[in-house]
Parts: sequence; structure tokens; C-alpha cells
Amino acid sequence: MTSTTRITAAAAALLAGSIGAAQADIKIGVLYPTSGTGAVYGVPAMQGHDMAVDEINGGGGVGGEMLVTFARDTKLKPAAAAAAAKELITKDNVDVLVGGLSSAVGLAISEVARQEGVIYIATIPKTIQMTTTKLHKHVFRTSSHTDFEGDAMAQIVAQLGKTKLCDIQLDYAYGHDLAAGIEKGLKRHAPNVEKVIDLRSKLGATDYNAQITQILGTGCDVVTSGLWGSHFVNFAQQAQPFGLFDQVVYISGGEIASHEIAGRMGKDYPDNVWSNTYELWYDHTVPAHEKFQADLAARAGTKETAMWPVLAYIGVKFIAAAAEKAGSTDADELAAALEGMSIDTPVGPRTIDPETHQADTGQFWGPMVRKEGVDYRVMNPVTYIPAKID
Amino acid sequence: MDMLLSNPTFVLIQVLNSISLGMNLFIIAAGLSLIFGVLRVINFAHGAFYMFGAYIMFTVAQEAELGFVTGVVAAAAGLAAIAVIVERGLFRWLYDKEHLMQLLLTFAIVLLMGDIAKILWGTDQLSVSYPDALRGATDLGVTFYPSYRLMLAVIGPLIFLGLWLLIERTRWGRLTRAATQDMEMLSALGINVPMIYIVIFVIGSALAGVGGALAAPINSPTPGMDATIIVECFVIVIIGGLGSLWGSFVGALIYGFVFNFGSVIVPNWQDVFAFLLLMAVLLVRPWGLYGKPEREGH
Repeated sequence: MTSTTRITAAAAALLAGSIGAAQADIKIGVLYPTSGTGAVYGVPAMQGHDMAVDEINGGGGVGGEMLVTFARDTKLKPAAAAAAAKELITKDNVDVLVGGLSSAVGLAISEVARQEGVIYIATIPKTIQMTTTKLHKHVFRTSSHTDFEGDAMAQIVAQLGKTKLCDIQLDYAYGHDLAAGIEKGLKRHAPNVEKVIDLRSKLGATDYNAQITQILGTGCDVVTSGLWGSHFVNFAQQAQPFGLFDQVVYISGGEIASHEIAGRMGKDYPDNVWSNTYELWYDHTVPAHEKFQADLAARAGTKETAMWPVLAYIGVKFIAAAAEKAGSTDADELAAALEGMSIDTPVGPRTIDPETHQADTGQFWGPMVRKEGVDYRVMNPVTYIPAKID
Repeated sequence: MDMLLSNPTFVLIQVLNSISLGMNLFIIAAGLSLIFGVLRVINFAHGAFYMFGAYIMFTVAQEAELGFVTGVVAAAAGLAAIAVIVERGLFRWLYDKEHLMQLLLTFAIVLLMGDIAKILWGTDQLSVSYPDALRGATDLGVTFYPSYRLMLAVIGPLIFLGLWLLIERTRWGRLTRAATQDMEMLSALGINVPMIYIVIFVIGSALAGVGGALAAPINSPTPGMDATIIVECFVIVIIGGLGSLWGSFVGALIYGFVFNFGSVIVPNWQDVFAFLLLMAVLLVRPWGLYGKPEREGH
């Protein structure tokens, strides 16, 4: 088995040499969960990653050097992600790490990157800690973070004129940090809103009846939340018979406006939900999005595409741009190139702050409404809330 | 917390929440416990069986639109078929081996079924609609309560009753109980013990399938859902006593109540109470509330 792999690898290397590719490839260690619960996001994220790599290599690579991907499954577990990151660095000699899904995993990979002095570009994790208390010179983030997200949610609370707020979050880094982000946002945008109750569910929780009935008992007129993915699907399915969504406006982070949730829930998607997403397959506000979405649709084999690919895609584009600018894969030189770097993406321009290493990644926000002719909900109107906190 | 003291309707709703959650879990835990009681195998793959039940429900009721009841029946039948394959093909070679081997085998089945589910149903979080008749809420006089949850609260005790009658009141049930005591003696008396094993394994696995199918509308079928449920089931059967039907029933109710009221009393600390209870049981009465202490040398 091993010898077969070696021979195949050798053959591939010879072939690569014969078509004139440069010897010194840029090795990218990519970390997404591709099995278990996290596969929902990790598998589409890998599609976006591969698409960006293929685009760049198809265009001649970076200064003649090809991008080569070394993928590892994080299994959505910080320990597994840290072990995989170490292995990528020591065994595969990758030049840069990219990916991460879940705040806990992001922090774990970041710690390895710090110890090993390798660049890590976090494409999905949102915990604010990553670019504040746990910031180091080799970690960069191209996703949004919980302070931006919480601030946007507070703006919507204020815009809708709501006054009694219930908050329900998942009991781990992301949920805690988002609750804090909302809290800070409310002070700025809606200081008169009364926070009635803080509810916490564990990551992976499936039963929300106790929380739903508590929210109903408090008489809140708005619920803020970061229940993402199947957490939201379960919460919504369980809350609808109680009439929760007739009583409150549900403002949610966690990208439950993305089409993978809206499309899957179809007519079961509840009323009165405002949420966010990084990308909507049907929204071409940014002209470059149209081609991106068409390519992605061809790759995925579906007309409607998922949101996660664009995040991984942007991560690769930053790596390529940084390697181009630095003319090297040395970690310190890449870091210097990334600081202050701007690129254009299918969802708008992105600039990495030289101090915080955080990209100014805003999100699309809006109410999820019915649309004639289709059995799923769409965001309308779509508003881009930029990543800035006044 | 204040609402518990001041609002009786709120208390009633929490009681109903607890019962409906407990009863859904009972259906699954009962299968796990039944299999252990007779086969002496702790089937880690029981959670994966539950997950398959939920996925089969999705395919039959949501995608093929063949109806909710068909979905439940298909899940039961599907898991029964899987059970026959697993028992005849794998388990029966391991009954006289040590427990560790059995555990490893069931764990291998967990991984295998996880990958098969990914191939068959992909990795999206799927969503199953409520059956139309149970979509809304039922007027209980003092409050409205989701009809689907009420149905779960009723179906659990019915399954309990059915299992109890089967095991306590039929000849076949007596043989099963005898098999748990001394299967060699039973074998010597000319009873087809392997047949008892396979039937019990099929019933237990079908219960996991039914539990998964019934959970599907409130618990979106998704990869990894097997891991969550198996932990809950273990908590229940350990509290109640592995191998005891009453134990699963009472354990599931206790779990439902502790989980719900724990969340109301300390909203930020939902899970801790069930696990504290588990620890207390393990320390004070390790064989569970309704279990029997293992005999020496067993």
C-alpha cells in the first residue's frame, strides 16, 4: 500500500516536472471537518477551496509555482485539529495553514501556528479572542467575528424598535462571545432594550423545549441567538407549534439565512426570522459574484449553491496574493505581506487590518421571506452591514 | 425560576416537556437495555441505528411523500433487516468472547454506518415536516401544547405496555427471561436460544429505528446525531438499571424531568444535573434503580 502510494507520488512528481511546473510548490495545509456533524460545512468548504486552487493553478500559479493542497479532517474537535495541524507542518512541510471550523477548533489551530511559527489563515471561526487576546503575529482571519456580528444584530433590534430581549446561545466560545458582542452592540445602538433572560444550550443539543417555553413565559418581543445549522433547524421545528415565531422577532447570527438552511427547511422555515450570511447564491450585488456562482454551481452540480465555499475560496485567494507579494513562502515575509493587504472577492473587497490581522468582512443581513414560485425562503431586502464598529 | 413558583401553567408545560422528551428517549433506551438484558452485549451502534431510523423517515416521508406512518413502519422494518444482518453476520461469533471484543465490534459498526449514512444521505442537516394532523397545538383547557409532543408522550407508555406484556405475559417472554438467567440450561432443554437472540436483537434495533423516525421532525437528521443519543441512552439505562424494562422507563422519565427542570432552574447549566444524578447512582447503587447486582464470577 505504502509503496504503491510512493510510486504514484513519484510518478505524479515526474509528470508535474515534465509539464514544466516549478519544483518549489506552495504547500497549503487545509483543515476542515469532512466527517461527522461538521461535514455539513466542511465538505462544501473544501469545494470552494479546491475551486480557488484550480483557478490559480489554471492561470499559471503564483509566480510559476503551483498551489498544492494537503487536506486533513478536523472532525470538529480541537484536539484532532491541533494534531492534524502539527502533522501538516512536520510531516508534509506545509508553508501555510488555512481553514478551521468552530471557534474552539480555530483557537486550537492558531495555537499550533503560534508554536510552530507557521501562518494560519482562519476562514470560518468567529470568536473575537482569536484577533484580540489570543492574537499572535502568524494568525490572520478572513471570516467575520462575534463583535461585528453582535453589533449588526443590535442594529437590527434598534431598527425594529424592540424592547424586551431574550438571548439564547450555545454554551461554548462562539455562543459566549456572540452574547458579549450583542451586549456591547445594544449599549451603542439600543441602550433602552431590557435583556430579560440569558439561556444556554450545549453544543449539539437537540431538545429546546425548556428554553422555548421559558422565552414564551417572559413575554420577550425579540430573541437574539447564535444557534447555527441543525441547532436552528431543531429549535425552529420545536418552537413553531408553540407559536413562538408569532410572538417574537428572531434575530440570529450563525448564518441561518444561508441557502443550505433555507433550502433544506423549505416551507418549514419559520416566520419573523432575520439573519445573516456571507453569500447568497441568488444575490449578485457584487458583479464578480455571478461568474463565481456559475463556476461553483457547475462544480457542485446544483443550481443553488452553499455559502461555505466562498469562505474557503477567499482564504486561498489571500494566500496566493500574499505569496505573490512576498515572493516567498517564509512565514514572516508572508505575514508582512498579509498585513494591510486588500483583495477583491466575489462578495466585495476585503482588507486585512495590519494591527488586528482581521479582515473587514461584513455580512448580508435581512428578513427571510416567502418568494413566489419557490418553496424555500429568500432574504429580501438584502442589506450589507459592513464590518465596522463606531 | 420565578415562573416555577408563580405560574402553575408554566409548571404544567415543563412537566409535559419532560414527559415527551423522556418518552421519546425511552423508546430508544428500551431497545438498548433489552438487547443487553438478553444478549449481554452493550451495543454502541444503537445510536447509529437510531440515526438510520431518522434518515429512513426523511427518505420515505419527506422525499418520497409516502406519509408519516409509512415512514415509521419503514424505519422499523429497515432496522429489523439491518439487525438480522448484524446479528447473524457479526454478533453471533462474539457471544462467548470477552466484552471488550464486543464493544470494539459495535464501535466499528458505528463508524461504518456513519460513513454509509454520509454516502446515502450526504452531509446536510435535513429537515422532516410534522405530519399535517399533528402540525399545530392542542388545547388542553389551561394551555396549548404541541400536538406532536403529546403524541410522543402517549406512544412511549404504549410501547412500554406492549413490551411488558410480551416479556411478562407470554410463553415466549418467559423463555426470554430464562435465557437471561441460564442460556445453557435452556439450550439443553431443547429451546432454540439463537432464535431468541435474533428476535430480541431485531426488536431492540427496530425500537431504535422507530425512536429515530419519531424524533426526525423535532430532531433534524444529520451526521453525528448518533453520538448525542447514545450518551443520553447510556445515562438513562445506567440510572434505571441495564437490562430492566422498568429501569429504562423510569430512567427516561427521570432524565426528562432533570433535563427540563435543570434548564429552568439554572438556565446556563442544563446538562450538569443529569450527570450528577448518574454519578450518584454509580456511587451508591451501581446496578441502577431497577437493576440487579451482578453475581460474582459472572
